[in-house]
Amino acid sequence: MLESLTSLAYGFNIALQPQNLLYCFIGVTMGTLVGVLPGIGPTATIALLLPATFKLNPIAAIIMLSGICYGAMYGGSTTSILLNIPGEASSVVTCLDGYQMARKGRAGPALGISAFGSFIAGTFSIVGLVIFAPTLADFALKFGPPEYFALMVMGLSVVAYLARKSMAKALMMAVVGIVLGCIGLDPITATPRFTFGILDLADGIGIAPVVMGLFGIAEVLENLGVLTKAEIFAGKIKGLFPDREDWRRSIGPIARGSLLGFFLGLLPGVGAIVPQFLSYALEKKLSRHPERFGSGEIEGVASPEACNNAAVGGTFIPLLSLGIPSNAMTAILLGALMIYGLTPGPLLIKNSPDLFWGVIASMYIGNIMLLILNLPLIPMWVSVLKIPYSYLSSFIILFCLIGAYSLNNSTSDIYIAVIFSLVGLLMKKFTFEPAPLVLAFVLGPLLETALRRSLILSDGSFSIFLQRPISAAFILFSVVVLVAPLFSKLRLGRGLSEED
Amino acid sequence: MTIASSGALFWIALGILVCYGATRLGLGSVTEPGSGFIFFWAGLILIILSLMVLVDSLRSSEEIVQETGEMNWVKIALVLLSLVLYAFFLERLGFVLTTIVLLTFLLGWIERTNWLRSLCVACAAALGNFAIFELWLKIRLPKGIFGF
Repeated sequence: MLESLTSLAYGFNIALQPQNLLYCFIGVTMGTLVGVLPGIGPTATIALLLPATFKLNPIAAIIMLSGICYGAMYGGSTTSILLNIPGEASSVVTCLDGYQMARKGRAGPALGISAFGSFIAGTFSIVGLVIFAPTLADFALKFGPPEYFALMVMGLSVVAYLARKSMAKALMMAVVGIVLGCIGLDPITATPRFTFGILDLADGIGIAPVVMGLFGIAEVLENLGVLTKAEIFAGKIKGLFPDREDWRRSIGPIARGSLLGFFLGLLPGVGAIVPQFLSYALEKKLSRHPERFGSGEIEGVASPEACNNAAVGGTFIPLLSLGIPSNAMTAILLGALMIYGLTPGPLLIKNSPDLFWGVIASMYIGNIMLLILNLPLIPMWVSVLKIPYSYLSSFIILFCLIGAYSLNNSTSDIYIAVIFSLVGLLMKKFTFEPAPLVLAFVLGPLLETALRRSLILSDGSFSIFLQRPISAAFILFSVVVLVAPLFSKLRLGRGLSEED
Repeated sequence: MTIASSGALFWIALGILVCYGATRLGLGSVTEPGSGFIFFWAGLILIILSLMVLVDSLRSSEEIVQETGEMNWVKIALVLLSLVLYAFFLERLGFVLTTIVLLTFLLGWIERTNWLRSLCVACAAALGNFAIFELWLKIRLPKGIFGF
């Protein structure tokens, strides 16, 4: 513990360097901005900014990119409360009571409690990161290829289990993601695979053009001519500081939301959206007046907002200590780490302590910046929404194209982005979810290597996955998650989608 | 046949193609998996899952296509085509010129903004981005035959 505190102090030393502070500020500001704007999310933004970070040192780059992750959680609540439009998928629940509070003239306290709740939860999850990530990384040093394979299988199973529509479809997307991720040279024999003689495919398909297409351009295409101008909350927002009664009612929900978000975020495959729904449901269950939920209860804002922020911290733990992303957003961060030449995994903390502790300390500083950015500056963020969507959509497309191109200075990446934008659009039309695809796309090559190494290790026996206790536990959990819905009608994801 | 079941047939076909490609790459053995090993299994699982979706869609008459509102497919096709042309001309004509043409088209034609304003915004955006990426961030953007 003491060692962690010393390391954290070292982290603050790094995070407080002027350059890192600047990039932290840029990150959280961008995060808030895209959080506020519907139509572009943190996942696409991180991908967009990826090329811009190549000339930076990796620490500043990761500080900025993670700032986008948690900054978006703050920004998303603003539009949920004021406009009933979730700027982010992970702020959907906040609309339910937040917008009702705004309609009752209590927009101020709603915004205030969501910012403070986010701050408290963010701080809590950083403390959790400091405690858990190094411990988990030490533990993960015992992992061999079978454990890694089983862990990734578990992550993909959880993603499929949490699918909002069809679990089979989510699994299909995961499999397609693995296939796409493995295109390129064989990591062991260097045989070109599914490259169709195209030289640019030999290195595989890049994560950036795929994400730009699926999350950036596809979103714009879907909204072409559909998205009308948002009705902007006209009333003056006053009293951003919640009063004593508000605090009394919110403190429990914030604490529960933080705990729930953090621990669910730890599980590979969960991400930030599901915990939010669960925290709302939990508060409703615990409330003495569950019937009032949906009509402007502050508990219904405090808990989910705390929850989605804590979950972001939670998702960083498997990313930084195991090298396993748990959602599309952290999948791109993993891609970024690899591009900077770092090897994500249990040794990251030992080999690059400056990166690990610097990023954690910067998250603490970033949360303070966000509190300042989000409370007094709310009118400014609201006015951002007055930018006509026509301009916004054209610029999103342009940034996606630049982002896709500049990674390798190759126009084939633009073609790939365009192809995936069409794929993304069709996926939306036919209710396939993009998240399992992106996650599996990143995990694919790691999964393949782990599987092949395990089989070589065991002399071809699949029982190696069951003979080793840790991997057996992961496999068992995956089987339960995949098989359980066959026997019970109840599935979390579907339940959530009915709550929408 | 519903759209959903024809969609499932597409995935089955893709799964078969992946499996076929995988066998040509060589599956290796279980003791030493070859280049096509993971593709083969992924393809096989894809086929099985698609069959499940197919059976499911044949059993229920419900159409499972997302109610996304009316998508404007003509506009979508035009935008996609313009992006393909953008990729084609980018290295030939340079970033600034192609970007001005693309943005003017997107704003003026697709989003129905006033033409003159579209052109001004497009020029400003193209030059602004060139300054940010090329001059500040030192990311090389294509110059084309005109040198910008």
